[in-house]
Amino acid sequence: MEYGPTLREGSFKLGEFMNDGHIIEILDNAPLASLSEAELQTIQAHSAECQDCGHAFEAAQLSAMLLQERTSEAAESALGANPFFQTRVLAAWREQRSSGGAWSLSRLWNTTGALVASMAATTAMLAVFAFAAPSETTNQVQAAVVPYSAESVVLDQEQDDNQMTNDQVIGAVYDADEDK
Amino acid sequence: MKAFAQMKSFAGRGSMEGWLTRIATNTCLNMLRSASRRPELVTSDLSEDETAWLERVSNTTGARRLNAEQKVIAADLAEKVLEILSPEDRLALMMIDGEGASVNEVAEVTGWSESKVKVRAFRARKRAREALEKLVGRKQ
Repeated sequence: MEYGPTLREGSFKLGEFMNDGHIIEILDNAPLASLSEAELQTIQAHSAECQDCGHAFEAAQLSAMLLQERTSEAAESALGANPFFQTRVLAAWREQRSSGGAWSLSRLWNTTGALVASMAATTAMLAVFAFAAPSETTNQVQAAVVPYSAESVVLDQEQDDNQMTNDQVIGAVYDADEDK
Repeated sequence: MKAFAQMKSFAGRGSMEGWLTRIATNTCLNMLRSASRRPELVTSDLSEDETAWLERVSNTTGARRLNAEQKVIAADLAEKVLEILSPEDRLALMMIDGEGASVNEVAEVTGWSESKVKVRAFRARKRAREALEKLVGRKQ
């Protein structure tokens, strides 16, 4: 929010805008202490001719003086402030800072510990299933899949013949006759 | 006390100074909001010492030097003038005009925008000035 040009911005000539409203606006727009000597002299010169601005300037000076005194008193009171912050709060904070690394790791573990532990347990179980249990079943499957092992060839030879279907037998007989 | 109780909420983000300042600012504003606010300052609200002080100072031209007793009276009178302001306006005025803080610094401490700080300071300055004008009998 802007309140129009001010003395400090130097965007206008004092003579053009030197009216009651503007002088009062300048006084309200910035702390009196922040105005330069030249600015104050200009305001004083105008205030000497304009009663309203003179009163406003006087009140602004009073206000600034009161605030200064109020601040000074507050600063003096602060010197005897309760040492609670120095002794307790800041000490606790320094202690926390000094153990920062361990503190942050423990905090991390508190938040993610359960998740990490459950993930580790699951991984271990999967590892057991992957390497221990499937080794027996794999051998069995291999034995079943390979029908030409030594045992099956030597011992089960007749069984293979017995396992021929009637169609196969008839086909083999008639095929042999036809060849003749 | 609040800072000590809320130490865990700090969590190392930002500066410790800023965190403490924000807690102190909010606590003070809450206290001031709960306190009764004087709607207007009239001559009958002032003590005899304050009325005499105002009379003497307003009739003095040139540099005004205050002795220890006058400084105490001035501080009390300032407190009464500040009571007519809202806590937020009072804070802005005290920080900028009293302590010499910049608008940016006040915005940082309070969490307000710079525009808001300027408006509050402007309004507070205007109200304080007008109140004092009335008290010294320059304005009806």
